[in-house]
Amino acid sequence: MSDNHKHGHHISTPAQLWAVGGALIVLTIVTVLFARVIHLPYPFNIITALAIAFTKAGLVAAFFMNLYWDVKFNLMLLIASLAFFILMVAITLLDTLYRIEVVPSF
Amino acid sequence: MANHSSTHPAHVQHHFVDSEQQFDSAKMGMWVFIVNEVLFFGGLFCAYIVFRTWYPDLFTQAATQLDTFWGAVNTVVLIGSSLTVAMAIRSAQKNQQRGLEINLLITIALACVFLVIKYFEYSHKIHIGILPGAENYTFEGIDHPLAHVFFGIYYIMTGVHGLHVIVGIGLMLWIYFRARKGEFGSEYYTPVEITGLYWHLVDLIWIFLFPLLYLIE
Amino acid sequence: MATAEATTKTLKVQRFKPSENPTNTYLTDEKGVWAWMTTVDHKKIGIMYLVAVAFFFALGGFLAIALRTKLLTGASIDFIDADAYNQLFTLHGAIMVFFVLVPSIPAALGNFIMPMQLGAKDVAFPRLNLASFYIYVVGAIFTFIALALNGLDTGWTFYTPYSTESGSSVIWVTTGVFILGFSSILTGTNFITTIHKLRAPGITWSKLPLNIWALYATSVIQVLATPVLAITLLLLIMERWLGIGIFDPAMGGDPVLFQHFFWFYSHPAVYIMIVPGFGIISEVISTFSKKTVFGYWAIALSSLAIAFIGFLVWGHHMFTSGQSAVATTVFSFLTFLVGIPTGIKIFNWVATLYKGSIKMDTPMLYVFIFLFLFSIGGFTGIMLGTLSVNIHLHDTYYVVAHFHYVMMGGTLIALLAGLHYWWPKMTGKMYNERLGKVSAVLIFIGFNVTFLPQFVMGSQGMPRRYYNYIDQFAPFHQTSTIGSYILGVGFLIMLYYLLHSLFRGEKAPANPWGSRALEWQATSPPDFHNFGHTPVVIHGPYDYHQPMEEFQLGIAVDTNGHGKDTHVEPDDPELDKWKNYSLG
Repeated sequence: MSDNHKHGHHISTPAQLWAVGGALIVLTIVTVLFARVIHLPYPFNIITALAIAFTKAGLVAAFFMNLYWDVKFNLMLLIASLAFFILMVAITLLDTLYRIEVVPSF
Repeated sequence: MANHSSTHPAHVQHHFVDSEQQFDSAKMGMWVFIVNEVLFFGGLFCAYIVFRTWYPDLFTQAATQLDTFWGAVNTVVLIGSSLTVAMAIRSAQKNQQRGLEINLLITIALACVFLVIKYFEYSHKIHIGILPGAENYTFEGIDHPLAHVFFGIYYIMTGVHGLHVIVGIGLMLWIYFRARKGEFGSEYYTPVEITGLYWHLVDLIWIFLFPLLYLIE
Repeated sequence: MATAEATTKTLKVQRFKPSENPTNTYLTDEKGVWAWMTTVDHKKIGIMYLVAVAFFFALGGFLAIALRTKLLTGASIDFIDADAYNQLFTLHGAIMVFFVLVPSIPAALGNFIMPMQLGAKDVAFPRLNLASFYIYVVGAIFTFIALALNGLDTGWTFYTPYSTESGSSVIWVTTGVFILGFSSILTGTNFITTIHKLRAPGITWSKLPLNIWALYATSVIQVLATPVLAITLLLLIMERWLGIGIFDPAMGGDPVLFQHFFWFYSHPAVYIMIVPGFGIISEVISTFSKKTVFGYWAIALSSLAIAFIGFLVWGHHMFTSGQSAVATTVFSFLTFLVGIPTGIKIFNWVATLYKGSIKMDTPMLYVFIFLFLFSIGGFTGIMLGTLSVNIHLHDTYYVVAHFHYVMMGGTLIALLAGLHYWWPKMTGKMYNERLGKVSAVLIFIGFNVTFLPQFVMGSQGMPRRYYNYIDQFAPFHQTSTIGSYILGVGFLIMLYYLLHSLFRGEKAPANPWGSRALEWQATSPPDFHNFGHTPVVIHGPYDYHQPMEEFQLGIAVDTNGHGKDTHVEPDDPELDKWKNYSLG
């Protein structure tokens, strides 16, 4: 049984958890600073905001939700859900970005 | 597995071979549910993206009505609650009964703080006439004919997220009362871990809602 | 990781020959209405779903008969006016899609059979399973409330802007379907976890029955697509209630966006309906040909391929909606891709039949009906996916005929094949084989008489959902109506002999078809725990070249609360043969 404890039963130390929590708060402050103090030109403002959001999400998923230590299948599930979300958006944009009129009149 | 005649511990349901299989199943089930949630909110994000690509001006103008400061405070509050729920799981794994209960209580308290701040944000908007729906919307500070569409998206995204927070508080209370009865420890803490996963998801979604709604410039 | 560990070990196994006269079955274990309503047993929940689905099918079928009766003439008739007609076809569609086709195979038959095919005692989350059933019931109640209030006349697709303006009870029905979606989501979540975590020792991914692969693909679609339907319906409710301006053009929204959202669910949803049918066909075709399935991996993976491609093609429902030309072209191209995995399946099934010892019992008869009707449905689907042809055929009876060939000729016929195949296992009774064949033939004839004329009148320009028609179409409509009556008679005969078998039917043997699949190695009807032992699997489910006794192996368990296993034939001389077996 002992090798079963390799996955699913990782116990984080308080130092690890606090470090992750701290990093998340710092990143929150950074993203606010970018938006309200350092005004980046479009599209870099959106890219920075999303990059920071994804970094934060990655930290939460990896260390709070334990994906870093977990079986890889659960990570795959999360990635698959994001992939299908991107698929949905991308294909919908194929229509909405290439229309002759934005909202067709009937 | 190897030894089938071993007796089941009390928390293992009859159709599982052992505690390990039950824990793995529960966790995987929760991850599959998270996939659901990602696509559920995915629909809202998709609507957001479509309308933002159509009317970029609308989004920059309307976002000025959202309070960045309180949005950021709420982000920090949710991150804090994610941290305490992670600590609660750790306490359960380490058999620290007191730590488990205290961390759960702090998490519930932070979740309530989030809702209170959200309540003040909503009531301020309603007060100045920013209501969901074209008919109800009376605010005149935004010079765009579709201003109500932005706030329709805003209200639904934050509203559905807020519902998840309320559900989370309910789950956390349930876990708290079970914890007080001493049901959880290093041998069995599956519900704590599963609820924790759910709570982190609520945090994850807010991590994206905050820059997309509040930090548009 | 119980299963992974077991595969590398030597296990002490015995042969467990299922008893022909089980004393303790899931039907005798807990009795009474209350025990049924609160049961977490996947078999009883499956049966409850089956009863519910049968009820809704009867209701939807009755509405269909009423519709067809009205269409005997193009003129107005007394008992159905134009508004009532709109409500009838809407309810027929909504009930058949959301209450019958979506839950029929996975939730009813799948619930019963899947854990047995995995050698598990139950699904991973039994209470969640029961909750899904009650969520389904609550969803149904909302729909009935809508019926009692103002009905529904938007068509089952709830297209905006009409659905935001219609005077009928749109909010009630969408809330009902929203709730129903959770039933589907929870079932899918449950099934995926069960298939991953609860397989008996020896059942590796390459030994999974194809029915399991199909249910797995179905569950994946349910989990990925249904939440989008939920959010779409939520937005629609908000649109109607508050006018938030996302879908309603009068408020600045985009009705085509609603169609994107709706079909992002509803196109994959047609694969939620048909893919589990494919699973049943694979099982039945192998059992009644006594032959290994040809191209196991091709059939297994093509289910997953269909599930994936199903997410890329939703826009082919929207060719005339005003979406951009770029999207239309891409969708049309991608639609053709669906034909590939589906074709792979059909060819592999036909190859399975080749040189098999085919036995034409009722389930197999339905398989042949399926192959015939589904192929027609599939080919006409490819035609509809072709852009230029679609512009002509869009919203005509051609489309109606196409999806009835796929959904009824495909899913429903597969469901009937599965129902007749597993009926002895589920009830412990045999139905009347002669009547079974008679009704199958009647259904086949009735179906074609109903829907073949619809292809013709559709291609000649008869629009769907119309209350009246010009004289040119009268012969087609009348033939179609007569066909629907034949269909109705076929189903009534089925109802009769199935009910008859419950009370007066012959006792079913444990394995009436001589199948090698695991669910047939339990008693008929099965024990409360499915098997009194832990089954151990050493062969694939279709290895008909191996002797039957090698499919009945297992490990004795004495912790299931029943004491010693009472389901083994006493004094089996073969028992000692199987003391140690290495699973490698």
